[in-house]
Amino acid sequence: MTGGYRNRVAIAGYAQSDVVRHADRPLGALALETARRAIADAGLRPDQIDGFTSSAMLPAAGSHAVEDGISTVSSVWLAEHLGLNPRFASGFQGHGQLPGSVALAVNAIASGAADHVLVHRALHNPSGRYHGNTMTEAAGAWQWTAPQGYFGPLAMIGLPYNEYLMRFGAGRESMAAVAVEARKNGARIPWSYWHGRPLAREQYLDAPLVADPICRLDCDIPVDGVAAFVLTSAERARDLPNRPVYVAGYAAGSPTRPRVPLHWPLDDLYETGAETARRLWAAAGVGPADVDLPQLYDGFSPLVYLWLEVLGFCPVGEAHRFVQDGGIDSDSPSGLPVLSGGGALGNGRMHGVPQMLECYLQLSGRAGARQRAGVTIGLACHASPHLGGVVVYGNEPW
Amino acid sequence: MSAARPVPVPDERSAPYWKAAAQHRLVLARCSRCGELSHPPDVVCPRCHHPDPGFVFEEVGGGGAVRAWIVVRQSFLLGFDVPFVLVDVALDDDDGVRLIGRLLDGPDAPLACGDRVRVAFEDLAPGVAVPAFTLERTP
Repeated sequence: MTGGYRNRVAIAGYAQSDVVRHADRPLGALALETARRAIADAGLRPDQIDGFTSSAMLPAAGSHAVEDGISTVSSVWLAEHLGLNPRFASGFQGHGQLPGSVALAVNAIASGAADHVLVHRALHNPSGRYHGNTMTEAAGAWQWTAPQGYFGPLAMIGLPYNEYLMRFGAGRESMAAVAVEARKNGARIPWSYWHGRPLAREQYLDAPLVADPICRLDCDIPVDGVAAFVLTSAERARDLPNRPVYVAGYAAGSPTRPRVPLHWPLDDLYETGAETARRLWAAAGVGPADVDLPQLYDGFSPLVYLWLEVLGFCPVGEAHRFVQDGGIDSDSPSGLPVLSGGGALGNGRMHGVPQMLECYLQLSGRAGARQRAGVTIGLACHASPHLGGVVVYGNEPW
Repeated sequence: MSAARPVPVPDERSAPYWKAAAQHRLVLARCSRCGELSHPPDVVCPRCHHPDPGFVFEEVGGGGAVRAWIVVRQSFLLGFDVPFVLVDVALDDDDGVRLIGRLLDGPDAPLACGDRVRVAFEDLAPGVAVPAFTLERTP
């Protein structure tokens, strides 16, 4: 089945706050200002925005109070605080929060439920230890993991990463190429937390292990930051100031095997991830060879290997060699620019924003000094291939 | 570490599992509709999707093979001395069921994919024990 929405919806404008460890204002205030800038950037007035989609999830396992407008910002909160009463406001509940929010916006616009939709993502770094949790009793889903010390996303990604290393005879040293590439590009981006701070291979190799084989530099750094994008119909977008970037297709994974919480066996990642990829290419009407800007998700570095392989940019089991041989060097004519936007490792924990933003900036010709020549089709991933999401973007509808 | 580890809070679906664990027995839920084992016991059978699975808990052998492991060097929970090892185990009883537990042989025990382990139990409090694993010694 193909997407009836293919290339019928486009991004018309955007804004992003600076990405910092702790903002000097509440997250809601930052979100409001960023939303207003995005709407103005698209050449629209706030009262023309009649749709809002987002995910308000705080990705911390720690004992933090979650409060809308303070530690998260939902679409309903944002619309209300902009003084608007939109026809459509919806929150995405699954993983792959930003691709999922884009999908909701595309469906709303293609169906006529809304004309101009603001998609945003607001990320918060709460005070105190990000994943530190003082629970003394583990109830509900946590009873299956926390009593044995199986807790938090490092354990979640560490197990399939070690399974990968053992199965394919890889060493953790190969991953230095991923972290160095992300920070090289992040260092060039003025709004990045890592602006002006590239990483040397030796620094990666010397970083302390936190959940062997995961070291500290395999993980993105928690930040405060907000991004907002304005989506509208392709027809309307062509009358607005910026070059439209069309949504060609989207896909998400949905594993069906029963697992305890946090458990991502490598075979689940590959099997369900392959279905995510099949759905994506069918929806978008293109294949991996057509994509010249594949922005892969790197909140934990092993996810870059998995997305490379699942989406068909290199054979299964070979991503560790591919990256080590310069395969993702965005400065090389033969390299695949998978982290040219810096990713999460090169910007901060912005949960798929760097990937979507890089697609938008490059495909709309708005990347400034970082503009790449001749890019036509990009994709932006978030989370894992088996339960995350991915969107294909283009600047010439097909 | 002076603080205590988090203890499991049994609920309607999990009570038989934790009651058996307290007696150092590993039990798994078998669906009375499709006859398949699953873990954890869900409100719907995750294998046949029947909304009234009538789970029967039965004791299983508890042997299995290591599929993956990590060395936890930084605990986000109270009460754990680091480093410790977590193993991801495919059970002999049904390789579709995977359990994750601490490996009680310590962080320096050599490990390889496929290594044999057997379930063991850690007593956390009176009447509360949590499944873990130990390496099986080859004779």
